[in-house]
Amino acid sequence: MREEYLASLRAGEALAASHGPEDPFAAAIRATRMSMIVTDARQADHPIIFVNDAFLALTGYRRDEVIGRNCRFLQGAGTSPDEVGRLRSAIEAGEDASAELLNYRKDGSPFWNALFVSPVRDQSGAIIYFFGSQVDVTSRKSTELALVERRDDLQAAVDARTHDLQVALEQKTALLHEVDHRVKNNLQLISSLLQLQTRRTRDPAVRSTLRGMLERINAVATVHRRLFQSDDIERFDVAAFVSDLVSDAIGASGRADITVDLNLERVDIPAAKAAPLALMFSELLGNSIRHAFPDGRPGRIAIIVKREDGYFRIEIADDGVGVKTSGIRPGFGQTIVALLCEQLRATCETSDAHPGVKTVIRLPVNGKH
Amino acid sequence: MEKIDPLNVLIVEDEVLLAVELSYLIEEVGCRDVGHAMSSDEAIALASSLRPDLALVDVHLRDGPTGVDVARAIANDCGGVALFMTANVKRLPDDFAGACGVIGKPYSEHGVKMALRYLDTCLRVGHAPGLPPAGLQLAPAWADRWGLNDMPRTA
Repeated sequence: MREEYLASLRAGEALAASHGPEDPFAAAIRATRMSMIVTDARQADHPIIFVNDAFLALTGYRRDEVIGRNCRFLQGAGTSPDEVGRLRSAIEAGEDASAELLNYRKDGSPFWNALFVSPVRDQSGAIIYFFGSQVDVTSRKSTELALVERRDDLQAAVDARTHDLQVALEQKTALLHEVDHRVKNNLQLISSLLQLQTRRTRDPAVRSTLRGMLERINAVATVHRRLFQSDDIERFDVAAFVSDLVSDAIGASGRADITVDLNLERVDIPAAKAAPLALMFSELLGNSIRHAFPDGRPGRIAIIVKREDGYFRIEIADDGVGVKTSGIRPGFGQTIVALLCEQLRATCETSDAHPGVKTVIRLPVNGKH
Repeated sequence: MEKIDPLNVLIVEDEVLLAVELSYLIEEVGCRDVGHAMSSDEAIALASSLRPDLALVDVHLRDGPTGVDVARAIANDCGGVALFMTANVKRLPDDFAGACGVIGKPYSEHGVKMALRYLDTCLRVGHAPGLPPAGLQLAPAWADRWGLNDMPRTA
């Protein structure tokens, strides 16, 4: 140990001898407030051969306590082995290196050392010294660590809150499914009840009334089948509903001789308006199927759903016998259409289409749709 | 014309009014209603003894949401084919528990009849006569078995 100290001391003196008091660069290094050291690359384990006063002030050691020793005496329990390893590799490769290490003063107090190490070569290119500088970055590092800690706390709070919301959402979704399930089952029950009653009824007028109610329930049921099929439970796809209801109504009527032309644009309405609109549509379609083509007269029904300026337009046109001949009665169906028009602030105009009847529903578009 | 045996259909439904109405629909399309179960035990016992060609199975039965188990038992042990009839189509397992498909509640009289006629053909011929009617959704495995994946997609 003593020998190493003396060897380093001599090497240091040799270095100092070639840079006397009149050398401005040497004077700058000795006097600067930045801690600086030189180690001897030609001795085993690279001992320190020079430290300036700033280094001694930073670390709390005396000069004779550090000359002849490798810098690792500054390391301690909290020093990152990875960071030290990275530094050592760079030194062995003869490269410039920088690192931030937790180091310890003589009194044991820790400080964050932003270290820069650079090789010094002789004229042949061989590395003879390493030059090192140290900056105490403890206050910046503490702030950084505090920020990381604060960020972790915030993240934990956000995670906890997100979890709570997730649980609440899952409960709400489960409840929604339960309610949806009950609504559908009850609609099914109502529909089956009406069908059973219809089967037992012989009076044609009563049968017709029951059939009408069954059709209306079926229109509402078709809405509910469709309502939860889309991802957006607030919106209702009119075109998909129309297509469902038409195929069911024509099929159920047994009128294979009625052709339906569908011209449907995708149009969404708020879910709350779906049932009244469906009832209106079902009423008008049912009218055409029942009254436009009497006595086996074949025919065609054209249905258009599209957007117009500020309105959705639903058009149902048949080429049947027309209003006068069919003697369309101002019955319950028409009352329903008129009332629902009022509710939806829609207009419904029926006109003679020569031949047949054309009905146009115009539903105002409000707000976001 | 050659007389063919009607398709034997078992109803597994705990709402008795729905079951009675379904029974009418089954007979109206020329199938035969062979029995009616309201719980999973009943359903599996009837399916084992009656060996129906088709079982209409609600998911929620008298003893809970056991319709899925019933469908699986019918597919694995009874040699028949189950068809779900439920308001909760989205809760069915991906493999439909071996069932051939599902009719969503609320269904229409016409929708059920169309589905029964369609399945009658599928089960007799082993091949679908076309795309399934509105209201009937086939299980992927059965759609494949009945050749639907080879058909051009329309609609």
